[in-house]
Amino acid sequence: MNLKGNIFILGVIITTLFFIACDKKKKDKKDDNEDTSFDKPAMLANYSENIIVPNFQSFKIALDSLVNAYTVFIQTKTVADLTVLRQKYIRATIKFQHISTFEFGPSESEIVRSNFNTYPTNTLTINSNINSGSYDLGTVSNLDAKGFPALDYLLFGKNETDASLIALFDTDAKAANRIAYANACLSEMQTKTNSILTNWNSNYKNTFTSSTGSQIGSSLGLLVNQLNFEVDLLKNAKIGIPLGKKSLGATLPEKCEAYYANNISVKLAKECLLNIEDVYLGRSANGANGMGLDDYLEHLKATHGAESLNAAINNQFAITKTKLDLVAEPLSTSVNSATSTVDAAYLEMVKLLVLLKTDMPSALGIVITYQDGDGD
Amino acid sequence: MAFGFLMLASILRFMAKGWVYNMYIKPKLFFPYYGFEWVKPLGETGMYVVFIVLAISAFCIAVGFLYRYSAIVFFLGFTYVELLDKTNYLNHYYFISIMSFLIIFLPAHRYFSIDYSLNKKIAATYAPNYFILTIKFQVFIVYFFAGIAKVNPDWLLHAQPLKIWLPAHSEMPLIGNLLTKEWIAYFFSWFGCVYDLVIPFLLFVPRFIKPTYFFVIVFHLATSLFFNIGMFPYIMISLTTIFFTESFHLWIINAIRSIIKGNATEDAVIYAPQIKTVKLFSILFTIHFVIQLLLPLRYILYPGNLYWTEQGYRFSWRVMLMEKAGTAFFYVHDRTTGGEIEVDNKKYLTYMQEKMMATQPDMMIDYAKFLKAEFIKQGFKDPIIRAQSYVTLNGNGSREFIDPQVDLSVQSNSFLQNKNWIKKY
Repeated sequence: MNLKGNIFILGVIITTLFFIACDKKKKDKKDDNEDTSFDKPAMLANYSENIIVPNFQSFKIALDSLVNAYTVFIQTKTVADLTVLRQKYIRATIKFQHISTFEFGPSESEIVRSNFNTYPTNTLTINSNINSGSYDLGTVSNLDAKGFPALDYLLFGKNETDASLIALFDTDAKAANRIAYANACLSEMQTKTNSILTNWNSNYKNTFTSSTGSQIGSSLGLLVNQLNFEVDLLKNAKIGIPLGKKSLGATLPEKCEAYYANNISVKLAKECLLNIEDVYLGRSANGANGMGLDDYLEHLKATHGAESLNAAINNQFAITKTKLDLVAEPLSTSVNSATSTVDAAYLEMVKLLVLLKTDMPSALGIVITYQDGDGD
Repeated sequence: MAFGFLMLASILRFMAKGWVYNMYIKPKLFFPYYGFEWVKPLGETGMYVVFIVLAISAFCIAVGFLYRYSAIVFFLGFTYVELLDKTNYLNHYYFISIMSFLIIFLPAHRYFSIDYSLNKKIAATYAPNYFILTIKFQVFIVYFFAGIAKVNPDWLLHAQPLKIWLPAHSEMPLIGNLLTKEWIAYFFSWFGCVYDLVIPFLLFVPRFIKPTYFFVIVFHLATSLFFNIGMFPYIMISLTTIFFTESFHLWIINAIRSIIKGNATEDAVIYAPQIKTVKLFSILFTIHFVIQLLLPLRYILYPGNLYWTEQGYRFSWRVMLMEKAGTAFFYVHDRTTGGEIEVDNKKYLTYMQEKMMATQPDMMIDYAKFLKAEFIKQGFKDPIIRAQSYVTLNGNGSREFIDPQVDLSVQSNSFLQNKNWIKKY
């Protein structure tokens, strides 16, 4: 009886608790009418309307003008037009750093990162493709023989003077094949870019903005995962690998991005970092700082030690930028001549990665797997 | 029995989602449990055969055909699959293993089953109380330990991790805005804790069974709404029906029977196994429950914060207790040159494995040992494997998790050894 009595009391307690809570619910509704939830649709709209689509548009413009410069060059074959062509190439690769992050939806179907920017490029494959004149750029074996890295090799050449490079497009026995090959690389990127933009504008913009959950496959989940993938690329592909982080400390200068252009690797890394920061802040190319992940973290009052997580991340962006600014072009020389300076920038990227990959998704409650969880 | 049908659904769901491939065929290495390193996967065809056998045995349990053999097959098969890789450890898989072990001994096929239709001699309408009691007691243990685990400062005083998890669902219709209120996280935390501690007692009181069961349904449906915990809520909802009285079960059976065929009446027969069997069973059950009671408490033997070190965390019914995430960088250090390689974890681990490994020290040891073997194959002589790892727990900023200088490949996962290279929380 005693036991039953106790159980009965416990039963009463939970029921009371439950009703108190229900009452409280009503009261709270009166007390704070204001909406305490974060306006995710507005944030997603800012990303698609002000950042992602405009960035793709700028990239398309840069790519189209690269194609035009190429068309002019193969007709005139002058040093002046080669110089213009190279400038347009550099401009397009810079703009590419601002779309590479968005590898979901239309970009994911076109596999943009691998198709546009697999480096180091395979010069053996490129030359054998040019010699044979028969190739299919759509195959996996040609992934490292096309896109920007292939154009980097074709337009800047290995130990070529301007004159000898122009000769390869002019008097060389395989000149016609070479012209066609660079053309094929350019048109593949053009086709894919046009298709991506069309998809974003026709229906994906809506799909993206209306998927407001936090589970995997939700827009927020996609954005955060790809942002981290991009930080990883910055840390490893752009800096770590040339620095020898995967090769027992032996530096690998030839693995730098845009190795043949040779004076833009650090610039591309900086642009990549800038884009990562833009995405984090919800900042568009014109500098307008809209609703972004930083606002969401502030709204959730996420902390990191004594400061807010947002402050910690902003601080880390600033430090990383400072350290990267100290690295001189060309990166292929700096990894050997100023190893510790490059290493310092690398270490800050590691810290940035930890904050963005571990702390941020955890604070946002983003689910990053399809599998069932225990919540542990 | 409902258990059989639910298991069948679970297995089919598992196969349909392609998890068999992702978890047991694709990975290049598996993280075995300490003491069960000999449990190896069977390759693609083998694994699918295992899952098909599991589905068939679950169906046989459900319809009561060759019941005892099916239960044994299901128990062994399911436990085998779970032992392959601790990446996939979930409390509810562990729970299914235990349940399928316990039901081997139940005389559940002796009434309303195919076995019974084929051989009326085994008929029994009443199972001795202690059989049912084993299941009830197991459910009791699960709830109660889950409740005790919730009595901790993070859960009760800071409403963590619910304070993080609930606002993530702010887009839900009607209740979305409510979920972002802080008091709701506290309410859910306290309610969950009180629920887990009180429900197992209330379930034993026939008088309260109906309102109690109502709470069971509400609670588990709520959890399935907010968290991706798969089939578990439905398993618990159906299993707790065992606490209902006999008349309730007969009512269900008769309802099903009236759909299948006409009504029939039986004489009451009490299932009375031989004394020897009873003795054997009771020894077995005693051992089982002593282990069940001690296992969740083993964490007391290790120093440090349990959630941080996870020494003694598994098999303890600690569910939904922490939001933990980490990033781990592994380095292969060459003794002769002093050079180092940063490992690309993606090359060796699946996404899930990398995520789990980054926060669980015992998995780091397994991975380090694998890396050592891998790099010795590539020509390294006795390399040092060290890792830099940052972990965040329940919204506290990430910090260094383990000593980055320690050679993980020579550490031991023995239960007897405290992992003193884990940094203090």
